[in-house]
Amino acid sequence: MVDMSEVRARIEAAIPGAAVRVTDSTGGGDHFDVEVIAEAFAGKALVDQHRMVYTALADLMPRIHALALRTRTP
Amino acid sequence: MGDVMQEIAREVAEHPVVIYMKGTPRFPMCGFSAATVEVLQEIGVPFKAVDVLAEAEKREAIKAFTHWPTIPQVFVGGKFIGGCDIVREMHARGELAPLVHAAVAAR
Repeated sequence: MVDMSEVRARIEAAIPGAAVRVTDSTGGGDHFDVEVIAEAFAGKALVDQHRMVYTALADLMPRIHALALRTRTP
Repeated sequence: MGDVMQEIAREVAEHPVVIYMKGTPRFPMCGFSAATVEVLQEIGVPFKAVDVLAEAEKREAIKAFTHWPTIPQVFVGGKFIGGCDIVREMHARGELAPLVHAAVAAR
């Protein structure tokens, strides 16, 4: 089980200035809906934007069953 | 693992559109895989589907191949384009179909 605040903290630490919204979609601590808005995504393909978020969550991913992810620039 | 990686490299090179998914297009075993297949079917070109539940050695190999932690994974024209969220978003923006059609036409 992973806490929503853990997910948010990892992303904020890895992508400075990111606005992060995390929803625990089932309440079970393993299905999350994540939206990240960051200047750092500018000029990057979606696949690279998502990779930045996955990298930030790398050590949590084995405990997360499903992650719906949306990324965009401000 | 090396042989499996080579097989994946061959699959994505041989087929213009490939999806690594849980289950089959007819019987997807995961909502993300189902949603991704739906987009590909909507675009309406034939695609190669690899069931990582049936070919268990590919389940971890594909993640290592792309350095991407989740399944499904979609390749177009030999290039990894992303998972469910990206495929759906590219489709919503109208960016996916042209990419897919170009990859199919290039064969």
